[in-house]
Amino acid sequence: MSASQFASASQVQAKRSRRNALRSYLGAYGFMAPAGVLVVIFFLIPVAIILYLSVTNLASSNFTSDLAKMEYIGLRNYETLLNDQFARKIFFNTIFYVLFTLSIFNVSLALIVSLLTTHIDRGAGFVFRALWILPRITSPVVYILIWKRMMAEAPFGILNQFNDWLGTPTYNYIATNPWVFVVVVNGFIGLSFGMIIFTSAIESIPKDLLNASLVDGSSKLQRIRYVILPLIRWPLLFVFTYQTLSLLTSFVEIQLLTDGGPGLYRTEVWSLTAYHRALSNYFGNAQWGYGSAFAVLLVLIGVVLAVIYMRVFRFDELVAEPRVETL
Amino acid sequence: MLRRLLFAFVLLLLLSSVAGIALAQDAVSITVRCKASPPEEDWRCNSFAVVEEEVEAELGIEIDLNLIQDNAGWGDYKNEFVLASEAGEAPDIILSGHEDIGAWAPAGFIIPLDDVIGMHSQFDDIVPSLWDSHGYAGQIWGIPQDAEARPIFYSKLLLRDLGWSEEDIESLPDRVAAGEWTFADMLATAEAAIDEGIVDEGNGWWHRPSNGPDFLYYYYGHGGEVLDMEGNLVVDSEALVATYELLGGAVASGVLRSDVIGLDWNEVWHPTVAQADTVLFAAGGTWNWPNWSINYVADKGGDEFLFENIGLTLIPAMATGNAITLTHPLTYMISSGSENPDVALELIAAITTPEHNNKHAIDSFHLGILNAQLQSEAYANNRLLSSAHYMLDHTTALPNHPGWNAWSNAYFLGIQAVETGEADAAGAADIAIAQMQNELGDGITVR
Repeated sequence: MSASQFASASQVQAKRSRRNALRSYLGAYGFMAPAGVLVVIFFLIPVAIILYLSVTNLASSNFTSDLAKMEYIGLRNYETLLNDQFARKIFFNTIFYVLFTLSIFNVSLALIVSLLTTHIDRGAGFVFRALWILPRITSPVVYILIWKRMMAEAPFGILNQFNDWLGTPTYNYIATNPWVFVVVVNGFIGLSFGMIIFTSAIESIPKDLLNASLVDGSSKLQRIRYVILPLIRWPLLFVFTYQTLSLLTSFVEIQLLTDGGPGLYRTEVWSLTAYHRALSNYFGNAQWGYGSAFAVLLVLIGVVLAVIYMRVFRFDELVAEPRVETL
Repeated sequence: MLRRLLFAFVLLLLLSSVAGIALAQDAVSITVRCKASPPEEDWRCNSFAVVEEEVEAELGIEIDLNLIQDNAGWGDYKNEFVLASEAGEAPDIILSGHEDIGAWAPAGFIIPLDDVIGMHSQFDDIVPSLWDSHGYAGQIWGIPQDAEARPIFYSKLLLRDLGWSEEDIESLPDRVAAGEWTFADMLATAEAAIDEGIVDEGNGWWHRPSNGPDFLYYYYGHGGEVLDMEGNLVVDSEALVATYELLGGAVASGVLRSDVIGLDWNEVWHPTVAQADTVLFAAGGTWNWPNWSINYVADKGGDEFLFENIGLTLIPAMATGNAITLTHPLTYMISSGSENPDVALELIAAITTPEHNNKHAIDSFHLGILNAQLQSEAYANNRLLSSAHYMLDHTTALPNHPGWNAWSNAYFLGIQAVETGEADAAGAADIAIAQMQNELGDGITVR
C-alpha cells in the first residue's frame, strides 16, 4: 500500500469512526429525548415561570395569566422574605423535618425492615412488607384522619379511651408533641419507598455470595455488615438522595395534620409556606408572587443539595461501567 | 309501509333537532356558584331554581340554570373563582364573603352594580347598614345574601350548676346588651366555674379554633380600627396590646385552653360545645345552632335540647363599654365575564324577597337582610331569629381592602403567640406589627 493510499484509507476510517460516534451520540440522546422533553415541560419551564412570578407582585387582587401584564417589582419579594421574622425558623424547621424523617425512617428503619423481612420466612416477610406499604397506598386525607382519630383528646381519641379506662391522664397528643407526629406520620409513608428498593437490592444479591460468607464462618450480622451493606451501597445512596429532595418539597401530610402549627409556625416547613402564601388563604387575596419567591429558594436548595450529593457520593463512579468491562 | 315509517322517523328527528337548536339558541346560560353547608344552607343556591320560571316568564327568555354548590374550604373556593375568572370560565354569579370585594374589584373579576341596583325595587328594602360592607372605591359590588351574628353561646346547664337562677340566665342577653355584664364578668364567671369544679381548667371559654373573622371583634372591642377615614389600613398598637392581654390573660388564668387553636372543628369543637356540659362560654356563629341541632344533639331532642341548655348573647363589653358582634354577610357578586349580567341580576333580585330569604334564614339561623322580612310573621315568630336579630344593632364588619389578608394573618399570629405563651402581649403586638409592616410596607400606618 502506497503512502497516499494509506492516508486515504485512514481518512475513510476516521470519517467512519466519527460517523459511528455521531450515530452513537444521536442514539443516546434519542433515547433520552422523551425523558428530556418531560423534564423541560414539567421542571424547567415551571421553574422559569415561578422565577418570573417571584419578581412580580402578582396576587388575587391583580391576578392575570398574561406575563406581560404582571407588574415587575425586582427583588422586593425576596427582600420581604429575608426580612420575615419567621423565615429563619421555617428554614430550620425544614432542615429538622428532613433530617429526622430521613435518618430515622426513610433510610434506617427502611433498611432494618428490609433486612429483617429478607431474613425470615419469605411469605411472612412479604406480609410484613405489605403492611408497611399501607400508609403509602392510603389516601393522605384518610391516612391523616386515622391518625387524628387515634390521637384526638378525650373522649374522642382511641388512645385516650385506654387512658380513661386505666385512670391515667388524657392528652391532646398531636398538639403536645407536634414534631413527633409530623416525623412519624411522614416517616411511615417514606419508609416503604426505601424498603422496596432495599429489599429488591438484597434479593438480587447472588445467593452464592451470601452462602459463601456463611460457609466461611461469618455470623448473619457479619454477613450484613461485610457482604450485604457494601453490595447495596448504590441503592442506599439513591434512596438517601431521592428522599431528601422528596421530603424538602412534601407538605400535604403536615398541612392536614397540624397546618404548620400549633403556635408560631411550630411545624411549618418551607414548601408549606409557599403553598400558604400562593395558594391558600382563608380571606382570599393569595400572594402568588411572594409565594413564588419561597418556591424559587426551595428549587435552589434542592439543586444545590443534588449537586453536593452527586459529588460527595461519587454518583458518576457508581454508575460507571465496571472496570473489568473496560479492560 | 316500512319506508313510510322510516320517513316519518327521520322527519321527526329533524324537526326535534331543529327545535332543540332553536331552544338552545334562545336559552340564556347562567351558572351560580355557592358555598353552603348542607342541608341547612342549601337555599343559597336552590332559591335560584325556585325563581327560574318566574324570571323566564318575566324576561320572556329560556334560562339554562347551572347551580354548583359544595362546602369547600374558603381558600380553595376563592382561588377557584380567581383562576376561573382568568381562564374565562367564571360562573355568572359567585357567592362569597363581602371582604372578597376588596381583592376581586381591583382585579376586575366582578362588576360594579350602582347603576343597576335602582332598577330592582327588591333591593330598596335591604337593611341599609348591610350596604356598608359591599362598597369599594365608592361603588357597590355585591348584593347581600345573608347576615349573621357571632355571639357568645353560654351553657345554661353549667350556669345552673354554678347557682344562677333562671331569671339570671334568661336576663343575661339584656344585661350584656346594656353593657352591665362585661367581658371581665364573663371571665370571672368562668374562673368561678373552674374553681368550683363545674368545668375543667381551660373549658371556661372557647373561641374558634382557626383563623377567621371572629377574632376582629376583640380588637374592635378595645377601640381598634382597621381602616382610617380615607380607607387606608391602620393598626392601633394600644388596642392590639389590650386584645392580646385579654386573650393571654384568659389562658394564664386557666379559663381558655392554650391549645384551643388547632382543635378540629368537627371532631372536637362542635361536638363538645353542643353538648352544653363541658364548656361554659363558646364564641361561635348563629349558623352553628342548626348544625348542632341536626348533627350533634339530634338524639337528645335537637332544637328543644339546645333551647333548654344553651343561650346566646352579644360579645360582652370590653374597653369601649359597648357589647358588640360581627356580621360577615355573604354576597352575590356578578362576574365581569358574565355574558348575561342583566339576567343574573334579575335572578338575584327575584330571590331577594322576604319569602325566599326567610327560608334560608330560618333553616340556617342566619339573620334577615330585608326590612320587610324582619316584620314578616315567619321571621318574627321564629324563636331563634327573634332572639338574635337585635344583634344587628350592635354589629361590626370586616374591611374590604386588598391588604386585609396580610393584616388579619399578622393579627392572628399575635393571637397564636400570646395563647401558646411564646410571647407576652407586648411581644405579640410587636410580632404582629412587624409582620404587617414587612408585608404591607407603606400600606399600613401604626398608631
